[in-house]
Amino acid sequence: MLSDWGHVGFLLLLALVFPVGGIASSWMLGLLKIRPQAPDPIKEDIFECGVETEGTAWVQFNFRYYYYALLFVIFDVEAVFLYPWAVSLDEASVTGFIAVVTFIVILTIGLAYAWRKKALEWL
Amino acid sequence: MDSVNRFGPELILLAMAAVIILADIGWALAGTGAERMRRPALGALALTGTAASIIWSALLIAFDEQGEAFSGMIRVDDFALFFNFLFAGTAAIVILASIDFLRRNRFVAEYYALILASTAGMMLLASTIDLIAIFVALELTGISLYILVAFMKDGRSSEAGLKYLLLGAISSAVALYGMAYLFGITGSTSLDEIGLVVSEANGETRSALVLAMVFLIAGFGFKMAIVPFQMWVPDVYEGAPTPVTAFLSVGSKAAGFAVVMRIFLTALGDGSISSDWATVFAILAAISMSLGNITALVQGNIKRMLGYSSIAQAGTFLIGLAVVAAADPQLLLGTSAVLFFLGTYAFTNLGAFIAVIAISSKIGSDQIADYAGVAKRSPLLALGLTICLLSLTGIPPTAGFIAKVYVFNAAVQADLVWLAIVGVLNSVVAAYYYLRVVLNMYTAEPASEESIQPGYYLGLAMVVAVVGLLVIGIFPSPLLEASEAAARVFG
Amino acid sequence: MLNQIPEGVVWAILFLPFGSFAVISLAALLGLTRTGSWEARFSGYLTMAAIAASFLLSLWALDSVLQEDGARIGYDAHEWVTVGSLRFDIGVTVDGLTAIMLIVVTSVSLLVQFYSQGYMRGDPGYNRYYAFMSLFTGSMLGLVLASNILQLFVFWELVGLCSYLLIGFWFYRDSARRAATKAFVVTRIGDLGFLSAILLIWTKTDQLDIGQIQHLAATGMIGSSVITWFALGLFAGAAGKSAQFPLHVWLPDAMEGPTPVSALIHAATMVVAGVYLVARFFPVFIVSEEAINAVVVVGAITAIMAASLAIVATDIKRVMAYSTISQLGYMMMALGVGAIGAAIFHLFTHAFFKALLFLGAGSVNHATGTFDMRKMGGLARFMPVTFLTTTVAGLALVGVFPLAGFWSKDEILIEAWAEKPLIFWTALAGVFLTAVYVGRMLFLTFGGEYKGGEASDHGAQANSRPAEPHESPWVMLLPLVVLATLATTVGFVNITGGMNDILEGWLPEETHELVAAGDFVLWISVVSVAVGLAGLGLAWAIYSRKAIRAEEVSAALEPVQVLLDRKYYLDDLYETVIVKGVIMRGAAAALHAWDRYVIDGVVNGLASLMRFSSEKYRLAQSGQAQLYGAAIFIGVIVIVASVLQDELLGIVGL
Repeated sequence: MLSDWGHVGFLLLLALVFPVGGIASSWMLGLLKIRPQAPDPIKEDIFECGVETEGTAWVQFNFRYYYYALLFVIFDVEAVFLYPWAVSLDEASVTGFIAVVTFIVILTIGLAYAWRKKALEWL
Repeated sequence: MDSVNRFGPELILLAMAAVIILADIGWALAGTGAERMRRPALGALALTGTAASIIWSALLIAFDEQGEAFSGMIRVDDFALFFNFLFAGTAAIVILASIDFLRRNRFVAEYYALILASTAGMMLLASTIDLIAIFVALELTGISLYILVAFMKDGRSSEAGLKYLLLGAISSAVALYGMAYLFGITGSTSLDEIGLVVSEANGETRSALVLAMVFLIAGFGFKMAIVPFQMWVPDVYEGAPTPVTAFLSVGSKAAGFAVVMRIFLTALGDGSISSDWATVFAILAAISMSLGNITALVQGNIKRMLGYSSIAQAGTFLIGLAVVAAADPQLLLGTSAVLFFLGTYAFTNLGAFIAVIAISSKIGSDQIADYAGVAKRSPLLALGLTICLLSLTGIPPTAGFIAKVYVFNAAVQADLVWLAIVGVLNSVVAAYYYLRVVLNMYTAEPASEESIQPGYYLGLAMVVAVVGLLVIGIFPSPLLEASEAAARVFG
Repeated sequence: MLNQIPEGVVWAILFLPFGSFAVISLAALLGLTRTGSWEARFSGYLTMAAIAASFLLSLWALDSVLQEDGARIGYDAHEWVTVGSLRFDIGVTVDGLTAIMLIVVTSVSLLVQFYSQGYMRGDPGYNRYYAFMSLFTGSMLGLVLASNILQLFVFWELVGLCSYLLIGFWFYRDSARRAATKAFVVTRIGDLGFLSAILLIWTKTDQLDIGQIQHLAATGMIGSSVITWFALGLFAGAAGKSAQFPLHVWLPDAMEGPTPVSALIHAATMVVAGVYLVARFFPVFIVSEEAINAVVVVGAITAIMAASLAIVATDIKRVMAYSTISQLGYMMMALGVGAIGAAIFHLFTHAFFKALLFLGAGSVNHATGTFDMRKMGGLARFMPVTFLTTTVAGLALVGVFPLAGFWSKDEILIEAWAEKPLIFWTALAGVFLTAVYVGRMLFLTFGGEYKGGEASDHGAQANSRPAEPHESPWVMLLPLVVLATLATTVGFVNITGGMNDILEGWLPEETHELVAAGDFVLWISVVSVAVGLAGLGLAWAIYSRKAIRAEEVSAALEPVQVLLDRKYYLDDLYETVIVKGVIMRGAAAALHAWDRYVIDGVVNGLASLMRFSSEKYRLAQSGQAQLYGAAIFIGVIVIVASVLQDELLGIVGL
C-alpha cells in the first residue's frame, strides 16, 4: 500500500521538478551568460490570440451578464433533470411525479422572484 | 410519508422561506397601501417558521418518531433533535434581534429567507448520515451565510462577505477532499458503513485515513473556527451585520461541532484512528484557547474581541471532543459536555451580541473605549451584558460556570489533566478582557448622558438570553439530561 | 429550649436575604423605583426585616447546637445535578462553628443596615445599595451553611462578586473602581488555589462533602502529600479573602466603598470567610505539619506587618484596614497553633468591636466630611457618643480588661505560650503595636483642636462643608451604642470556656487530641494588659502632647502644616521616639516597596508578556484573504506531518 503512495509522491516530485527546473535552468544559463539577454518591451507584452490588447483587464462588466448566465444555468440543469425523468415516467410513478413537481415549483418561485426584482429586464 | 414527517422541522423552515419570498413579491403587487404592514408581517412569518419547527421537533419526540428518513440519508435521533432545538431557537432569537436593525434595509424578505434556509442547513448537518447529503447541507448553510455576511453592501460588509466566501470555498473543497478519501478507502458514502470498514482498518490504510481525517478537521474546523482555521473570524465578525455575526458565532459554530461529532463518532469512532484524532483535538484545543484568549486581550473593537473569544470558546468545546476516547463512559461524558457547553454558549453569546447591537447602534461605535459609562445610560443593558460576560468567564451562578466545570471535569476523568490546567489558566486570562468591558461600562465617564433604550424586540431577545443562561446556571439538570440523552446516540 | 431546628428553617436563614435582594431587584427591573411607586426606604426596611428574621432563626440554630454540645446537625444532602456517574449535591449543615458564624453575620449585618439608614440617606444608589447588601449577607450565610465544598465555593465567589460591587459602589470615582478591581483580581489569585484544591480532593477521594473530607483526613485515609497540597490550596484561597500576607494589598484600598460596607466586610463577611474556611477544614490542616506551619507563619508575619503599617497611615479607615489585617493575622496564628476555639472566639469578639470602630469612623466622617485624621481633632467635645463608643472599641481592640478583646486575645496568647513560645512573643509585640496605633488614632481624632474637616462627597450633605462638626442622627448612634455594649460584654460568654466547647464539639474525635489546650496563666494576662497600656501611653506621649505643642505655635489649625512641621519629630524631647519612628517608617516603606515593586511587578510583567505575544500575533492578522487561505493549508500539512511522523520518517529511511 505504501509503495502505491510512492507513485503518487513520484508524480508530485515530477510536477515540482518540471516548472521549477525550467525556471531554475533559465536562471542558471542567464548567470553563465549562455542565455542571451536582450530586453524588449514587445517581449513583455500580453499575448492573446494575436490581437493587440487595449486598456486593462480591470473593466466593469454589466452585472446583468451574470444574472443571465445564472438563470441560464439553472434552467439548463432543470432540463437535464427532466429528460431522464420523462423517459422513465412509468417506473418513477407517483412518487417521482411529486418529486419533480416540487423541484419545478421551487424553481418557479425563483423565477417569479427574479422576474419581480426585474432581473430579466435589460436596462 | 415517514421520511417527510421526520424531515418536517427542516421542511417547514424551507417552506416558510419560500412563503416569505412569495409574500414579499405579493406586497410589491399590492401597492403602497399595504407597505406599512410588510416588515412586521414578514418578521412574524419568519418567527412562525422557527416556532413551527421547534413544535414539530417536540412532536417528533412526543410521538417517539425518531428514525431514519430518505433511505438512510437522514437519521432523526435525539442528537439531531437536540440540535433542531438549538438551531431553531438561535434563529428565533437572531430574527428577534434583527427586526430593529432591518428597519432601514430594503431586503427584509431575503434576509429572513436566508436565515431560515441556513438554519435548515444547520439542522441537516446534525442529522444527515451520508457524505453527499452532508456536503449539500454544508453548502446550503454556507452559501446562505456568505450572502448574509455581505448584506449591508457597504465596504466592510462586502469585504467580509468576499473573504468568507473565498475561505469558505477553500474549506469546503478541503472537506470534500477528505470525504473523497473516505469514500476511496471504504467504498461507501454512508457513515455507518464507513464506520464498519474503519473499525477493521489496519496499518496499510492508516496514512490515507489520517489524511482524510485531517482534511475533514480542516474543512469543518473552518465552521467551528478553531486554530489554525480561524483566520477569517475577526475580519468577518467585524464586517458582518451584528445579528449575522451572532448567528455565525453560535449557529454556524454549533453546526460545525454537530457534523464533526456525527462524522467522527459514527465513521471514525473505532479503531486506532480514534486516538489519533483525539490527540489532534486535544492539541488544537490548547492552541485555540491560548491563541484566542491572548489575542483578545489587545482588541479595541468589541466585535473582534468577541470573535477571538469565540475562538477560545471553541477551543474549550474541543476539550470535550478530545475526551472522547474509545472507551464508553468517556464517550458519553465528552460528547454530552460538548453538547451542554454548546447549549449554554448559545444563550451566552447571543445575549452578548444582542447587547452589542443595542448599545453600538445608539453610540455608533463598536469600540470598547466608547462603551464608557454605558451603565449610567442604560443600567439594564449593561447588567445583561455583564451577566453574559461573567458567564463567558465562567463565574457562578451563570451557565458558563457549570459548563466549564463539566468540561474540565471530563478532561480530568479522561486523564487529560494538562488540558484541564491549560483551560483553567486560560479562564484567568479571559477574565481580564471580559472584565475590562464591564469595568469600562460601569466605571468610566459616559460621553453623553443620553439614555440608551433598546427596541422592544431587542429587549425581549436579550431577556430570553439572559434569563436562559441564569436558569441553566441554577437548574442545569434539564439541559444536562437532554445533552446526555443526545450523547447516548453514540454510546 | 426549643425543638431542634428543622432543615427548612435553616434554608430560610439563607433565603430571606436572597428574597429581599430578589424583590428589590424586581422592583428596579419593573421600573417601580424610577416612577416612585417603590420608595427607596422600602428597600431599607425590607432588607432589615429579612436580616432580622435571619438573626432570630440563627438564634434558634444556636439553641439547637447548644443542646448538641456543638456537634454537627447534619441534614441529608439534596441531589442537584446528576450526570452519569457524576453527582453534585447541595445541602446545609449546622454545627457549633456555623451557629456562631450565623450569629456574627446576621447581628453585625443587621446593625450595619440600621446604621446605613442614616449614612446612606439621600444617596441616589440607595436601592442598589440595599439590594447588594442583602445579596452580600445572603452569600455569606450560604458560605457558612454549605455542606459541600463546591457549594461553598459558589457562595465564596458570590461574596467576592458582591464585595466587588460594593467597594466600587461609587463607581464614578476613579479610586473606587481601581480599588474594586484590585480586590477582585487579588482575591481571585487566591481562589485559583482554592479551586485547584477542590479539583485535587475530588479526583483523589471522589468526595465533595465537607464532613466526609474532614472524616477521611482525620482518620488518615488520605495520603499526606495530598492533604498538604489540598490544605495549602485552601489556605491560598483563605489568604486572598482574609487579606493575609502577601495577598493583603487589596484590603486597605477597599476603603473606597461606603463606610458601612467596610464595616460589614471587615467585621462579619468577606474577610472572615478566609478564617472560617481554615477553621472549617481545621481537621485537614492539623494533620499536615507543613500546612499548619504555613498558616502560623503567614499569620504572624501579617499580624506584625499590618500593625506597623497602621501606625503610619493618616486615613482613619486605612488605620482600621491595617488593624483588621493584623487581627486576621492573629486569628490565623491562633488556628496555626491549634487553638481553633480561641481563633473563632477572637473572630466573634473582633466582629463587634471592629464593626463599631468602622461605624464610629463613618460617624466621624459624617460630621467632618473627611477620613483624614490630620483634618480632625477635638471631636470628643462635639460628638460625645461617638467618642465614647469608639474609645470602648479601641480599648477592646487593644485588649484592655475587661472588654471583649481582652478575653479572646488573652486566650490566643495563652494557647500560643503553651504550643509555640516564639509565636507568643510575636503576638505580644503585636499587642504593643496595636496599642500604639489605636492610641494614635484616638488622640488624633478626638483629642486636641478641631482642624476643619472637608466637604462631604456623598449623601444629602454632598458638597456642603459643615461649619462645625455635629453629632450623628440617632439611627447612626443606636447601632454604635448597641455595639459598644456588646464589645464590652461579649467577652464574658466564654469565661467558662463554654464557647470553646461548642466551637470544638463538631471536630472528629481524632482531631480533638490535636487541639491546643492551654490553662489559664495569670502572668500572661497581666503582661498583655501592661504591654497594651504601655503602647497607649507611648501614643499619648507622642501624639497628644505634640498636639498641645502645636497649638501653642498656633500652626495646628492648618492640617498640612502638621505634616510639614516635622521639626516636632526632631525635637530634643522626643528624640528617642523619633529614632523609633524613623525605623518604623523605614520598615513600612520597605513593605510598601515590596507591594509595589515585587508583587505589582510580577503581575504587570505577566500582563506585558501576554500583551507582547498578543501584539505579535496581530501582525499575522493582516486582513489578507490569501494569507488566511495559506494558513489553512499550512495547518493541514503540519497536522498531517505530526500525526504521521513515524510513517514519514519511515519513508525517508529514518
